[in-house]
Amino acid sequence: MSTVRVHGASKSFGRTKALDNVDLEAGPGVTGLLGPNGAGKTTLLRIIATVLAPDRGQVTLLGRDPSRPDERTAIRERLGYLPQDAGFHRGFTVFEFIDYVAILKQMTERRARHDEVRRVVALTGLESVSAKRIRALSGGMRRRVGLAQAMLGDPALLVLDEPTVGLDPEQRLRFREMISHAGEGRTVVMSSHQTEDITALCSRIAVIHQGQARFTGTPAELTAQAAGRVWTDTQRSPAALAAWRTGEGAYRNVGDPPAGAELIPPTLEDAYLLLMGEPELEVSHS
Amino acid sequence: MTAWHLDPEAIRLYAQGAAPPQLAASAEAHLMKCAACRDGISAHVDTRRVEAIWQEVADRVDAPRRSWPERMLVRLGVGEATARLVAATPTLRGPWLLAVAGVLALAAWAAQFDERFLQMFLVVAPLGPLAGVAVAFAGGLDPTREIGLAAPYSGLRLLLIRTAAVLAVTVPIVAVAGLALPGSNWLAAAWLLPTAGLTCAALALTARVTPVVAVGVVAMSWVLVTAPTALAGHLHLAVGIGAQLFWLAVAIGGSLWLAITRHTVTIKLGRSA
Ligand SMILES: Nc1ncnc2c1ncn2[C@@H]1O[C@H](COP(=O)(O)OP(=O)(O)O)[C@@H](O)[C@H]1O
Ligand SMILES: [Mg+2]
Ligand SMILES: [Zn+2]
Repeated sequence: MSTVRVHGASKSFGRTKALDNVDLEAGPGVTGLLGPNGAGKTTLLRIIATVLAPDRGQVTLLGRDPSRPDERTAIRERLGYLPQDAGFHRGFTVFEFIDYVAILKQMTERRARHDEVRRVVALTGLESVSAKRIRALSGGMRRRVGLAQAMLGDPALLVLDEPTVGLDPEQRLRFREMISHAGEGRTVVMSSHQTEDITALCSRIAVIHQGQARFTGTPAELTAQAAGRVWTDTQRSPAALAAWRTGEGAYRNVGDPPAGAELIPPTLEDAYLLLMGEPELEVSHS
Repeated sequence: MTAWHLDPEAIRLYAQGAAPPQLAASAEAHLMKCAACRDGISAHVDTRRVEAIWQEVADRVDAPRRSWPERMLVRLGVGEATARLVAATPTLRGPWLLAVAGVLALAAWAAQFDERFLQMFLVVAPLGPLAGVAVAFAGGLDPTREIGLAAPYSGLRLLLIRTAAVLAVTVPIVAVAGLALPGSNWLAAAWLLPTAGLTCAALALTARVTPVVAVGVVAMSWVLVTAPTALAGHLHLAVGIGAQLFWLAVAIGGSLWLAITRHTVTIKLGRSA
């Protein structure tokens, strides 16, 4: 059962082809979009958040068609969205701001709305700063405010654009915890340019590069693509696409191993590197 | 432990909130010290009432006091939810209002010296409120635009609420500037209907383009038509009786069109939606 179904989506901004014929399906659990900056992740997530319409392709969200005004509203009623670089009305307090978004989510009855605001405030651990102005909060706390507003109304589909970027390690862990909790029983689609987040959280991933989905599947399937292509050596191997010295002093090489190389089990990061590296290689050989 | 206890009748009255003040005060003092009477009282308390009171208290404590513009709007009869939406309108923050007021004050001041500037005031006057509407929806100025776009709230309603709020603030500013014009002639009010017509035309255009572009198109057309007319000394063509009727018709037509198509047309609040 897929909550999100994107088929053949393309989107251009002037000459820039931000998305080029992308397919994506996502169901309950956390699905991750992995890719470098400028890959097209935000563009794809904005389409899934009904904020952007693709130039071409079909999109079905929660079984409905976002290009039809009435169905789009029905989708938005069950959608939570944390945009990349989400801004805030900095003069509002945390409570006022989340309350403002709750109004936009059409929670009209004041008492019930305030109860819901309190619920998401507690869910994201913001109780102690609920009456503080947003401009007085740290970056990590603001990110929590962003997550809190996305959780309003217990949405069936949660779209999170780079939710962990810029957080310190401890906050990052807290965020992973909240996101994985959110992924229980609902569909979460998130983006990251860091493999650690994806490994830790996602049951499915799509690797986006230059506007195309280069891989879709499970993290284990992605990792398996690098099987037999990672080896250690006492030196940087010229055959390696990437190589770096590990803490133990040996070189970890990723690429096409020479005969007799000492192969080691790959990680998801190795596979991602290979996926990112190959097109450039092909270009430089031709 | 104290020697005396509240009698059952006093407990019942207190629990129901019906005790006279004197009794309530002494009952309260006693209840603070006496667990036995506290147990006795719980049987009488209406739990729904306690729940309601608790909710009210919780709400007062962490739903913070509203800012003064919001309080004022609520006092004027605006719904509290609508008041919050108005409070988040970028235009209604100091710098933008000052900019609008500044430009108009300048135009009014210049009009003191030259008849032609007086006419230019009429050309400039509708631009103040129009700019305010554009600012209210400029993507870079509304930090939560993306969140708003993904929310189910009706785009047209938000557009109308914010436009009304912007007009309610900017139109008086223009009016005051108009009063500062030399002489007390009809020119001081001749910008009103054009402003209404231009605003409605811009709103209707948001079915095709974003508010910023719609306002840009409408404002540009207005300036291109009226500025040369004014400079040529035929301003009455742009703001005379015939023109006033024209703008009235545009205002009514635009509003009617919005009213009729409100369920079928997608308002473009953002560049992308
Ligand atoms: N609104 C826009 N206008 C112009 N170009 C855009 C816009 N949004 C994205 N792009 C371009 O599309 C490409 C993909 O961007 P984006 O989806 O933001 O990638 P990512 O989120 O993976 O970093 C980039 O080249 C970016 O410059
Ligand atoms: Mg991005
Ligand atoms: Zn007693």
